Amino acid sequence: MIHVGNERVPVCEGHGFNRRSFLQAGATGLAGMTLPNLLALEEAGAVDASKARIRNCITLFLVGSPGHIDTWDMKPEAPAQTRGAFQPIRTNVPGIDICEHFPLMARVMDKVALVRSLHHTTGSSHENGQRWMMTGHDFNATNRQPHIGSMIARTFGQKTTLPASIILPGKIGNTGAGPLHGQTAAYLGSGHEPFLLGSDPARSDFKVANLVPPQGQTEFRVDQRQQLLKQLDSLQARVETKATTNRETAYDRAFELLTSPASKQAFDLDKEEDKLRDRYGRNTFGQSCLMARRLVENGTRYVNVNHFDTVFNVSCWDMHANGSSLNNTYGDYKNHLCPQFDQAFSALVNDLEERGLLEETVVTVLSSMGRTPRVNARGGRDNYPPVWTNFFAGGSIQGGQVIGSSDKLGTRPKERPIKPPQILASIYHAMGIDLDKTMVPGPGSRPIRLVEAEPIRELF
Amino acid sequence: MDQVFEGSPKAEVRLEGRKVVRGDVVHDWGSRLQWVVKKDGQVVATPPARADHEFEHDDQTPGKYEVSLQLWKYDGYQKDKDGNFTKSKYVDISNTVSYTI
Repeated sequence: MIHVGNERVPVCEGHGFNRRSFLQAGATGLAGMTLPNLLALEEAGAVDASKARIRNCITLFLVGSPGHIDTWDMKPEAPAQTRGAFQPIRTNVPGIDICEHFPLMARVMDKVALVRSLHHTTGSSHENGQRWMMTGHDFNATNRQPHIGSMIARTFGQKTTLPASIILPGKIGNTGAGPLHGQTAAYLGSGHEPFLLGSDPARSDFKVANLVPPQGQTEFRVDQRQQLLKQLDSLQARVETKATTNRETAYDRAFELLTSPASKQAFDLDKEEDKLRDRYGRNTFGQSCLMARRLVENGTRYVNVNHFDTVFNVSCWDMHANGSSLNNTYGDYKNHLCPQFDQAFSALVNDLEERGLLEETVVTVLSSMGRTPRVNARGGRDNYPPVWTNFFAGGSIQGGQVIGSSDKLGTRPKERPIKPPQILASIYHAMGIDLDKTMVPGPGSRPIRLVEAEPIRELF
Repeated sequence: MDQVFEGSPKAEVRLEGRKVVRGDVVHDWGSRLQWVVKKDGQVVATPPARADHEFEHDDQTPGKYEVSLQLWKYDGYQKDKDGNFTKSKYVDISNTVSYTI
C-alpha cells in the first residue's frame, strides 16, 4: 500500500507498484482527485496549422428556458394573459424591441441575430430540448449523441494545453426527467469529453478543482511523480496496448494542464481588473462568462456556460410559479434573472469586441424551449417547445436582424420555422466547419456528418 | 451549485440640481439596480438605474425628496403564499442625496 496525498493505493505483491496502480495513484492524488475526465482523455488529434483561423464559440445555455413572450419575442398587442407583466423597449436597431429588463442588451442589438421561430416536437421535458440543443438530436440511453463541444474537440483537437471544450461552471444536473442532457462525448469516446470546471468562479476562494494538487502535495512532488511515470513507461512500453498508449497521452495532457503556468493563468480571474469583473456581474454566471472569454483567448475552442444546473428550488428561468419547488415568478425574472443575464451577455459581447476577439468568436444564447403563451392561473408560464427565441452574435453573424417569427399570440412559428439541428449546423458553419466535407467517426466508426441539417443562411 | 453573493456592493451618488448622478457600482452583484425616491419619507418611485448613470425624478410637487441606490440581493427564491420573497430583498448600496421643492 502506498499513500498519495491522503489516499491509500494498493500495490502488486512483489513488484512495489505497477502501472495500473500508479495510474490510480495519479487519478486520486496527482491531479486533485477530480481529473477523471482529463485522465481518461485519448488522443484528440494533432493541431492542424491550416485551421489556425478557425473560429471559437461561447454558448450561454439558459437552463429552465426563458419565456419567449417575456423576453425576446414580446407581444404588446396581445391580451393581458398572453403579453404578461413586462413592457418592450427599443433597441439600437429600429424595429427590434425586447424586454424592458434587458436595457444593456438593447444597446448591442446591432450585433445580435434573433431567431424567433425555433421549435421542436418531441416532448416538453427540459431534457428533450437540452438534447436537441446540445447535440442536434433527440436520443435515448441506447443511442446517445455527442455534445457539440465534443464534436468540435474531435474535429479540431486542442489548440494549446487548454482543453478544446469546457463546460462552466458545471454540467446540468436534475431538471426533472432523467440524466440524458446531451453533455457527454457519447460514441466519440472519453478523449473528447468536455472538461468540467466544477466550481464557482464567483467565490473569493475559487480554485479550479481539476488544477489544484491535493492538500499537502506540492508541484515539486507532482513533477517527481511524472518523472517516475516516465521511467515506468519506458520499461513497460513494449507490452502496452494501443488503448493504454492513448491513455498515456491523455495522462501527459493532464500533466500539461496541471503544471502549465499559462493554463493556470487562463483560469485565474484575479488577473482581471476589478472594474471588468464588476461589468460582468459578481455572480456565478457573470464570472463564468468572463472566464469563458479568458479561455477562448487562451486557446479553448468551445465553452458552454450553463446558467444554473437545476430547475428545482433555485431562482432560474423555469417560471411555473407553482408555489413549491418550481416557484419562479415574474419577480425572479425582474430582480434577478434578466438583470444577471443582461449584464453578463452585454459585457461579454463588448469585452470580446474591445479585445478584437468578437470577429473570431461566435456567441450563442440557447435554451431548450419556450414557455406557454398564456400565463397560468398562478401567474407563471409552463414548458412550451412549439416556439421560442434563441440568438447569435459575433463571428461572421450578421447582427441587427430577426430571423423567423411567431404568430401574434406566440403559439407557433409563423415564418421561417427553424429546428434545433439547424442551430447547431449554423454554429459549426460559423466556426469554419464545412459540413459537406467534415465527417466524424460515428457508432461503429462509420463516418457520419456532424449534424443532419443545413446552416441558417440568413445568419451569415 | 449554490449561488453565493459575497462582498458589499457600493456606489456613490451626487446631486446636480435635481438630477442625481451615480458612479459605477463597485463589487456589483449584477442584479437589478434601482433608484429609490422618497418624498417626505415615503417611497414614491423605484425606477431602474442599470442602463443610465443619471436620473431626474419628474415629480415637482413641493416636498423633501431623497434619492439613493438599491441592489437586489438574492438569498434564495423562497416566497410566501402571496408571492413575496421571504429571503431575497433590496439592499441600500449608496449614500442618500436630498433636495427640497
